[in-house]
Amino acid sequence: MEIIKAQDIYRTFVSGNITTHVLKGVSLDVQLGEFVAIMGKSGAGKSTFMYQLSILDHPTSGTIIINGTNTKELNEHEQTEFRLNTLGYIFQDYALVPDLSATENCMLPLLMKGEDWDKAKNKAVEMLTSVGLETRVDNLPSQLSGGEQQRVAIARALAGNPKIIFADEPTANLDTISGNAIIDLLGELNKKGQTIVMVTHEEEYTKYCNRIVRMEDGKIIKEEVLR
Amino acid sequence: MRTFRIGFLLGFRQIQRASIWTTTLIIFVMMLTFLNLIAVSGVLVGLIAGAEKAVRENTYGDLVISPHSEEDHILNTQTIVREISTYPEITTYSVRYNGTGELEANFKERRDLKGDADVTGVKVTGIDTQKEDTTTNLSDFIVEGEYLDPNEEGKILIGAYYLSQYAELYGDIFETVEDVHPGDTVRLTVGEISKEFTVKGIIQSKVDDTNLNTYIPEREFRRLFGRIDQNADVIAIKINNPADNIKIKESLLNSGLGDYAKIQTFEESTPKFLADIKKTFNLLGTFIGSIGLVVASITIFIIIFINALSRRRNIGILKGIGISERAIEIAYVLQATFYALAGSLLGALLTYGFLVPYFDANPIQFPFSDGILVADPIETLYKFGILFITTLIAGFLPAWLITRQNTLNSILGRK
Repeated sequence: MEIIKAQDIYRTFVSGNITTHVLKGVSLDVQLGEFVAIMGKSGAGKSTFMYQLSILDHPTSGTIIINGTNTKELNEHEQTEFRLNTLGYIFQDYALVPDLSATENCMLPLLMKGEDWDKAKNKAVEMLTSVGLETRVDNLPSQLSGGEQQRVAIARALAGNPKIIFADEPTANLDTISGNAIIDLLGELNKKGQTIVMVTHEEEYTKYCNRIVRMEDGKIIKEEVLR
Repeated sequence: MRTFRIGFLLGFRQIQRASIWTTTLIIFVMMLTFLNLIAVSGVLVGLIAGAEKAVRENTYGDLVISPHSEEDHILNTQTIVREISTYPEITTYSVRYNGTGELEANFKERRDLKGDADVTGVKVTGIDTQKEDTTTNLSDFIVEGEYLDPNEEGKILIGAYYLSQYAELYGDIFETVEDVHPGDTVRLTVGEISKEFTVKGIIQSKVDDTNLNTYIPEREFRRLFGRIDQNADVIAIKINNPADNIKIKESLLNSGLGDYAKIQTFEESTPKFLADIKKTFNLLGTFIGSIGLVVASITIFIIIFINALSRRRNIGILKGIGISERAIEIAYVLQATFYALAGSLLGALLTYGFLVPYFDANPIQFPFSDGILVADPIETLYKFGILFITTLIAGFLPAWLITRQNTLNSILGRK
């Protein structure tokens, strides 16, 4: 079953007299439960493509249907709601709220969904425990290592029970050991049925992926099915 | 509700984790703004209120009885005095007789009889020395010599502005006599009658009506001015609770005393120009205070704007993970609310806990009044409301501007 269907996506940036075509007619389908890696050199357009898929940005033209919803038809408010209810994000530099503890960071999507405080807190602690941070629940992001912060980011993404997780180079700021641990964690999640779309540079981090989509100059040049 | 909860969580934690020095500085600025709003107009109004207070306490009292406009004097003064003596609420009163005369000094030393005499026109007030002192504390304003003794005759108190050594500061405004001191003899002439008096004391206060007056015992006044009917010109009344003066006035009118004289509360007897000056100063104070308000709004705007701008990426990420713009705006409005409340609370504590009692005990010495700080709680509340709403807007606007930016641009730090 297709959970993402992107068709003929173009993304063009205009700055003064300069027009840059970053995506040039990209199409991609992602199946429910798939773990897809988008790879390519710097400037290939992989992150831009992921931003379109995750409706953080809007394509210049083309259609993206996620979980049966045509994202073009959503207004700004509906897009925010849609991201809250359907998508989870893991950013390269963790993107945690610095003033909130690990637990409170994970509680954000739950509270926004309307869960009561205690229920949200219990679920957040449960998520943090599932990523191995049961002893760090009350720590602020500044009191955690890079790997731990990325685990909190994963726990936060999972807390909202998303249909799809988008991970933008989640290991880029981590050492090899921490990076591998994060990839193992994502692999575990995928095994449990979680759909994941990940942008990465590193071949070694695609070991749990079902498919690798390779991009160059704003186009998909190759798709490799691994399993 | 969920939006408020998230907004509250984000805002509360931002305040909690902010640098203590930054927070203290912002609250300090807000406190100064509050003080600027309250204290500037408070001192300006207090300047007039101080003068008003002095006139009330040291001249007219809480109730003033004066002749009807068609009469020269208060009719049936003794009946009125008997009636007001029966009121337990009336603590004291002073019956005064007013007239004008000519005061001559240094006549014994005068050698050239063809030259000008050392003379000035004066207002003369006949008083019951003890009653006047209990009503207006007149003896407190003796700057040279002593107050009048009820058992003595032939003594006079002279207001400072009739004497050259006190009035010279004001140039030629006042007509004066030269170098008169306690113990000197002066001559008071009323029509064809003259009487010599020994100067008992020189009197000076913040009320010009006192400085431009001479006081002699009522018995001598009546003899000198031929006022055998004992009908007075002013009766100044002090009441236990000054706020009850309207009630007492009504009661006196109901007793029929209104037929004999005009009975007014102090407020009614205050000249209109004084009330107008008070309003003008209040307006002036509010105007100066509003400049402070604008400065505070800009300060809060800049603080919240810099704060929101430095967290632009975080705001983008929050929007990215599905947190509503409204929740983020609430977080920043909450911070502005906190700064406004904390600053105003401290300002109010300082105003009512220290400044008002301090200036009551140590009035600012203005030439014509002992300036106090007037901070009417209702007006303070009103000004706090203005400060609060302004702060909320100043807190909301920058947050609104930042949250409206493109989510991805915020996350990536793009313009």
